[in-house]
Amino acid sequence: MTELSSDMQRGDPDSPGEPRERVGPDDPVLRKKERIYDNLITKVTEQNELSPTDIKPETEIFHDLGLDSLRIYELVIDLESMFDIRISDDELERVGTVQDVVDMIYELTAE
Amino acid sequence: MYSAENEFAEGLLRIFDNVLLTEEKALSKGYFSNLSIAELHTLEAIGPYEARAMSETAARLGITTGTLTVAIDRLVRKGYVERYRDSKDRRVVRICLTRQGKLAYRMHAKFHKLLVKRIMDPLSEEDRNRMARLVREVDQFIKEQYEKYSDEERARNESKKAEGNEK
Repeated sequence: MTELSSDMQRGDPDSPGEPRERVGPDDPVLRKKERIYDNLITKVTEQNELSPTDIKPETEIFHDLGLDSLRIYELVIDLESMFDIRISDDELERVGTVQDVVDMIYELTAE
Repeated sequence: MYSAENEFAEGLLRIFDNVLLTEEKALSKGYFSNLSIAELHTLEAIGPYEARAMSETAARLGITTGTLTVAIDRLVRKGYVERYRDSKDRRVVRICLTRQGKLAYRMHAKFHKLLVKRIMDPLSEEDRNRMARLVREVDQFIKEQYEKYSDEERARNESKKAEGNEK
C-alpha cells in the first residue's frame, strides 16, 4: 500500500537513497489519504490547541502530543462521526503514528 | 475448617461488591463524577452507536419502561443522552448517547478492560484459558438461575391476572 508519509515528503527526486514508487497527483488512494490527513490534523489541532506544524506523519499521535485517555477518546468519537466509522479499542491499540491513524481510517472507510 | 465451597461463595460475593465499589470510586474521582454506576450501566445498555427504542433498552436492563423513563429524564438533563420520537413511527421513543455520553461509555469500557488486563496479565496462557472457561461456566449457571426465577415470577403474575379477570 502507498505510504502517505513517504509520498508527502517530496524532496529532491535525484537525491540518493532507497528507490521508491512514484505516485502521481491523480492517484485516488493518495488523494483520499491526504484528505483524511488534513481532516485529522484540523481536528487534533482544534481540540488540543496545537499548531499544525507540531504534527508530522511520523509523530506518535498519543505519546508525542501528550494526549490523555479522555482526549484520545474525544478524538476517536469525533473521527467516528466525521468519517462514519467505528474504531474499536483493539484497533486503537495498534496505531502509533499519525500515519497509522490515517491508514486505519482509510481501511475502515474502504470497508 | 477450610472449605473450597465457602471460599468460592465468599470470594464471588466479594468480587461482585468490590468491582462495583471500585467502579464507583474510579467514577467519583474522574471526569464523570456526576454519574452513578447505575446510570453508567444504562449508558452501556444504550450503546455508543445506533439509537435504541426505550422498550428495547428497558428489556436489556431487566427494568420496566416506566423506570427507564425516570432514569433517562435524569441522563438527558445531565447531557449524556438524547431522546426523540421515531420519524417513521411516532409512538416509538428512541434514545442515543450524546458526545459526552459516548465519552463516558468509552472511558468506562476502558476501565473494565484494564481491570481484566491486570488480572489476566500475570497468568500463563493455560491459566488464562482455564479461568475464562470457569468464569463462562459460572456465568452460564447464574444466568440460568436468573431466568428460572424470572420465568416463575412471570407465571405467578399471569395467573394472578387470570384470577382477577375471572372475578
